[in-house]
Formats: sequence, C-alpha cells, structure tokens
Amino acid sequence: MTITPEQKTPRTGACVTSVAAVFDPVFARLEQWADLVERYAARPGTVADRAELDSLVEELVRREFADPVGCVIGAGFVSAPGFLGWHLAWWLGGQNAASPRLPANGIRHLETLEDPLDENFRDYTALEWWRVPAQTGRRHITGPYVDYLCTDEYTLTLTLPVYRGGNELIGVVGIDLSVDEIERDLVPLLGADAVAVTVINASGRVVVSTDTHLATGALLRLPGLTKLLADPASTDGAVGLHGAHTFQWCGRTELAVVAGPAAVLAPS
Amino acid sequence: MPQSIRAGSGTRAAIFAPLDGAGRAELVLQRLTDAIVLGVLHDGERLPSEAELARQLGVATVTAREALEILRRNNLVHTKRGRDGGSFVTFAGEGSTNLQDDRLLAWSRVHLRDLGVHYSAIAGLAAELAADRASAADIDNLERVLDRTDAGTADAARRGQGTFRLEVAALSHSARLVREELRLQAEFGALLWLGLREPLRRKRCRAVQRETVAALVAEDGALARQLTVSQITESIEWLIEAKSLLEQKGGSTMTGSTTEAVRTVAPA
Repeated sequence: MTITPEQKTPRTGACVTSVAAVFDPVFARLEQWADLVERYAARPGTVADRAELDSLVEELVRREFADPVGCVIGAGFVSAPGFLGWHLAWWLGGQNAASPRLPANGIRHLETLEDPLDENFRDYTALEWWRVPAQTGRRHITGPYVDYLCTDEYTLTLTLPVYRGGNELIGVVGIDLSVDEIERDLVPLLGADAVAVTVINASGRVVVSTDTHLATGALLRLPGLTKLLADPASTDGAVGLHGAHTFQWCGRTELAVVAGPAAVLAPS
Repeated sequence: MPQSIRAGSGTRAAIFAPLDGAGRAELVLQRLTDAIVLGVLHDGERLPSEAELARQLGVATVTAREALEILRRNNLVHTKRGRDGGSFVTFAGEGSTNLQDDRLLAWSRVHLRDLGVHYSAIAGLAAELAADRASAADIDNLERVLDRTDAGTADAARRGQGTFRLEVAALSHSARLVREELRLQAEFGALLWLGLREPLRRKRCRAVQRETVAALVAEDGALARQLTVSQITESIEWLIEAKSLLEQKGGSTMTGSTTEAVRTVAPA
C-alpha cells in the first residue's frame, strides 16, 4: 500500500532524495565509463588490446581519485573471460589503508592472478559484484564488506555491466567507495529527530543508520522486511512496515530507507 | 574488489606490511622465514629487492640486507646476479620440520599460551559476530570455500584453515578484526596449525569447520565462538606437547646450521 500524506508512520521522501544524491552521480560516472569502454571494444576492424584498454581506463579512474573529498578508493574495468581473457584493469588510491604505500602518482594498479591454471586462481565471475549485474543486466551495489584483498577497508562496490553490440557481455565497470566516507556524507542528510533512519542494501544489511543500536554491517531484522526486499520492482512509493516503520526504495540505487522508532535493547 | 580473487593474498599483503617496535632485523627475518615455511611465499618466487623490501617494511636498507643474508645462509633464498637477477625463494618443504621445531623450542609455554589467548580473542569474537551478520549468500560462499579445501596434506589443510578463518573474520564486518586476523596469521599461522601434520587432526579440523558453519546458520554466536576458541586451545596444547617431546629428545637443530637434525615426534 502506498501511504497518503496523512500517514501515521514517518516520511522517507527527503532521505530517499539524499541517498540518491550521493549514489546517482557515481552510477552516472559508471554509465559514462561503460559507454567509453563499449565504444573502444566495438571499433570496427580492430582487435581489443589489454594495454590500450588499461591506459583508457587508467585515464578515467585517475580523475576520480583526484577529488580531495571523494569517497572513491578503487575503480576500474573487469574483463569478461571471453573478451580480454581473465583481466582486471583496476586501480587503488585515495584515502585508504594502502595509501601510505602508494607510488608518487597517487594511484596503484591492482596486481592479480590472471592465470586460471594457477592453484590460487579464483574465478571472479562467481563473485557478487560480477555475478549479479551479469545476471540482471543492471547496476548493483555489493556490500558493505571488509575488502581484505586490496585495501583492508570497509567498502561498498558499485558495478555496472558493459555490453558490446547490445547483448555481448564484455565486462563490468566498477567503483569502490569507503563506508567511512559514505557515513560522513550521508548521516548529516538523514536528519536527527526522534525518528531513526537506516539505509540498507538489497539484502537488508545496514549501510548507515542514525540509530545508535544499529551497527553498519548488521542485518536489519523487521517483520515483513524480507518480503519487501525480495521484489525490488514492487513499490515506488513509501510503504508502511510493521505498524511503526516506513520503507522506501531509493530510486534505482538498489538501496532502501527504513524510518521508524529506534531499536530498543532488551535489558539483559 | 570483494573477497579473495586469489586466496591467501591478504596474508601476503600482511607479510609485507610495515614493522614497528624494536629488534627489527629479527622481526624481518622471522616474518620472511615464516612466510616461506608457511608457503605464503612460494618456491621459486622472487622477493622484492633490498631497497623495495626496506621501503615496504619500513626498515633501513641495511636491515633488509642483513635479513636477506641470513635467509641465504639458511638456504631459504638464493640470489641470482644479472638482468633477471634478484632473491628467489628456494624452499620446497624440505627441512621445514626442523625450522618449525626450532621455533617451537625457542618459544616458551607462556608465550605459546599467550599467543593462543590473543588469537582466541580475535577469532572468537569474529566468529560470534559472524553468526549475527552472515547472510544466506555469505554461508553459501563459506561452504564453497570448504568444498574447495583439500585436507589431503598438512600444507593444504593449513592453507585451507587460514582461508576459512579469514573468510569468517570478514563476515564479522569489522575491518580491524580482519586486519588483526591477517597479522596474526602472518606472524604465527605456520606454527599454530602445525598439528595438521596428523591426518586425524586434519579430519577433526574439517569437522570443526563444518560445525562452525552450522553454528553460523543457526545464528548461534556463543557456539561459533566456543568452537573457535576450543579449536585454538587444542592447537596450542598440541604445540606444548610437541615442545615437551622435543625437549626430552634434548635437541634443537639450530636454524640453517649443519647440526644433526632431530625429527619431531608428534604427540599422540
């Protein structure tokens, strides 16, 4: 049910707009990158080349890392095995734990194992940031999770599939965001009144919350929430949840806002 | 990018993380020796140059050179001159038993137990938090990790246990716990799981891993923590027993020296 202006549960409209204002520009950038990579891959009469593509992508991501108040800690393009073979054109930089060891130009290429015959090789097409956008054909947010491979940082990964000629998946473009920085940007926008506002991902995991009792990374457990999350297309507007809460998807970001009374810790 | 594109790479990053505190030359030597014995650095792998190693570990070049020199004397690396030159790991498992025995003899019971307590505090709480925070997809991933783990040899079982512990730590969603897990694995992971030399211990380790996953599924944090802590305690006790046996035999094989080798007799 869509709630009318006379609703009893808290309003989420302003928070939804705030969340979209933080994430939409990042997805817009990814769309731009996907477009450029596709154009490169689709040039007639030429064969795509790793080194060429790498320098194209490096040029794009370098601009992201240059923003002093940005949240980007990693960015790049990951190739479909059938396009350039197993290959990551991925860079790290910005404000992350790896920064002290960054070279002078401020960004570091991510070295990975690209030989599928090596015993330590890992098929990245099975990982969420690849698997989900490849299946749905849409943008996806993975995390928050601790990225112990690159930065040891608490991270959100935004990915978007790249198609050649409209249907051949040639890879994904992606951006890693620092959850610390997201919190810094987002919490002030969520308001500080009596109502607790929580931003969750599509699995119900807390991204940020104004509720003291809700840790980022915890799973939000509310009756009826799982059902709402199961069908992202179900509702555009605000929905009442469990009597006291309001649930609303944040546009096309794959995130949702839940507003309502703060969690009460049971006395032990 | 999420999770391990190559397993164990997080541990590798920790090996080359900066050192602090006194006795740096010894620390460099110990960390590299462990990494080689542990198999984190593979036979034939090229080490960073003296200058690069010094930069990464945050020590003076002369300190790094000294450590490499001792590694060479201990036949753990060899140095090639010329254009394709450098220091290469020359460890193929031979003699590892002696090196590990030396470490076991050198560390007191108090020290071993304290390492166990420290690691239990980290891994135990990580497991407890993981039970609250693991989603169904996380559990699937963990089960895939277990299915891929080969418990056929001591080395494979030890690597598998390292990966499993790291994956569980990541499910805690605490970047600090993950970093500490990596650091402790790099510091004494090789020694801690020495008991996995015995086939029966490997079987038992695998059973505990499965039970831990079941506890995570059941959202039973107390059980997940208890399984983790008692597994670590058992390992430490195995080490202390092995140490006693070594002491009764009255023998150390000083690292890299030519004194007669004493084989470890594993406790029953």
